[in-house]
Amino acid sequence: MLLEVEALDVRYGRTHAVRGVSLGVGADEIVTVLGSNGAGKTSLLRALQGLVVPSGGRVIFDGHDITKLSPPQRLRRNLALVPEGRQIVLSLSVHENLQMGAYCRDDGGVDRDIDAIYDRFPNLAARRAMPASVLSGGEQQMLAISRALLARPKLMMLDEPSLGLSPLLVERLFGLITELRGEGIAILLVEQNTHMALEVASRGLVMELGRVVLEGPAQELRQSDRLAAAYLGHA
Amino acid sequence: MSGTAATLKKPQAALSRPVLIGAAIVAALAVAVAIGGKVIAQQIVSGLMLGAIYMTVAMAFTLTIGVLNFLNFTIPTLFMLTGMVAWGLVHRGFLSFAGGWAWLLALVIGVAVTVVASLIVERFTFRYLKTKHGDATEHAIPLVSSLGFLLIFEHLVLIAMGSEAQRFQIPFKADIHFFGLVLGGAQLLSLALAVAIVAVLTYVLKHTRMGRALRTIAESPDTASLLGVDVTRIVPVVFVLTGLLAGVAGALFTINYGDVSPFMGDHVGTKAIAAMVLGGLGSIWGAIAGGLLVGLTETLSIHYFGGDSVQMVVWGLLLAVIILRPQGLFGTASIGKGKM
Ligand SMILES: Nc1ncnc2c1ncn2[C@@H]1O[C@H](COP(=O)(O)OP(=O)(O)OP(=O)(O)O)[C@@H](O)[C@H]1O
Ligand SMILES: [Mg+2]
Repeated sequence: MLLEVEALDVRYGRTHAVRGVSLGVGADEIVTVLGSNGAGKTSLLRALQGLVVPSGGRVIFDGHDITKLSPPQRLRRNLALVPEGRQIVLSLSVHENLQMGAYCRDDGGVDRDIDAIYDRFPNLAARRAMPASVLSGGEQQMLAISRALLARPKLMMLDEPSLGLSPLLVERLFGLITELRGEGIAILLVEQNTHMALEVASRGLVMELGRVVLEGPAQELRQSDRLAAAYLGHA
Repeated sequence: MSGTAATLKKPQAALSRPVLIGAAIVAALAVAVAIGGKVIAQQIVSGLMLGAIYMTVAMAFTLTIGVLNFLNFTIPTLFMLTGMVAWGLVHRGFLSFAGGWAWLLALVIGVAVTVVASLIVERFTFRYLKTKHGDATEHAIPLVSSLGFLLIFEHLVLIAMGSEAQRFQIPFKADIHFFGLVLGGAQLLSLALAVAIVAVLTYVLKHTRMGRALRTIAESPDTASLLGVDVTRIVPVVFVLTGLLAGVAGALFTINYGDVSPFMGDHVGTKAIAAMVLGGLGSIWGAIAGGLLVGLTETLSIHYFGGDSVQMVVWGLLLAVIILRPQGLFGTASIGKGKM
């Protein structure tokens, strides 16, 4: 397993947002985490990126215990997060946003990698000098994913990337996610679009009130009654 | 988030207006010179010199507001510290070995002491501050403790060196005559230095990795840490730059006017805050334009209406601009963060 999470706990004061979550992601796998609002999905991903300090548990990534590492150290080990709401830096240009994606890198390949991004997303290339605030929602999501790609991730975590996109763009987004997996990037995908997520993922987990209440192969989850029940909030 | 829609429609409109404003001001000055002749031209030159000092101090305010969302009240006292430390060193004869260059060495040491003082302020306003993004005390505590440092430093200097204004002698007074205008050599030098420092800082902010990180923090500390910026490591950098800007401004003031006192920063500090708001909170170009404009306004209002009019004219101008254009001359509509 590329990523192994053991009994992770996240607390904010009295709120116990993630309760003993364990999961694994293989090196060429898409795993999806589903769950209704407030289930603790974002908290889980932020803890995995080192943005919140877990109150318990262990995170093993690429054979190393990274539980105590800072976000820059995790980025340098090629773990990247596309955050909820995209978090594009609106006052920076598109190009500067991409440069920020490579902030933790000190090799000489950054410019070449940014050129490759521009080849892949001509929309971004056309707007490279504009402030990121002029981008459409779909373009912002592309930029957010591109920015994460510049950390040359072995594992990319995405937090509700389809939120606010038109059905056509959602279709293309999931196409892109499958493509990235094909390029050897493992994916941990948090989604509320259960249907699409279970279509691209090989395995899925359902969280509720901080706990994993259901997990299994994507095909099985798709047919599960409990998945629907979990979304209604009374599993 | 709703950021997209609100920020969508700004590309050229925001840029062309400051250009128009700048052109209007230059035109007004040209008319004034045409009518008033050499006397007015001389006033404008002094106004720009004074403005360069305001501009440098306004940059220091802008940097901490823009990056840390924090109005750093110690800046006036940092400005004063450079002048008083330099005077103290020369006056007590510590630097007699340096001969004719003692004044310069004293000012350099003054700026260095100021940078260190600024880092001490950082320790007690940010380093040990345990509250995190979003808590109201996050902004109030640094503000109040910086006010505390303003008074502590001011009175430390007062106790050490007395409260009177002192003369700081600069040995060279080489005036340059240029189309009938008299330009002080020291003044020209300091104008050039202020412009150079501001230009370098602007370049660093716009075009370097560190600058991008600073601008990212300015917009969202959370996004910055997501991208691997160690925010706690950048905060001291902001304070070093603040100390440097305030210190250099203090040194330039000392060179230009030759007077130092424990209270010399208060006047310049309030004018610099006015300059910053006039130009647009958090905007670098706003600080530059606002500083020069306040300097010009001050010298010209002294010339036309006498010394007592200065505060009324400068602050009146500020209030007028705030009513007509609340975001300042160069500011964008969203006040505060994320505009560097
Ligand atoms: N910074 C925080 N401080 C305090 N409580 C928080 C914080 N962030 C999240 N929480 C709480 O933790 C719980 C889990 O939140 P989280 O954002 O992880 O859920 P989520 O599954 O991502 O929800 P959504 O689908 O709405 O994004 C919620 O009860 C939330 O109120
Ligand atoms: Mg969430």
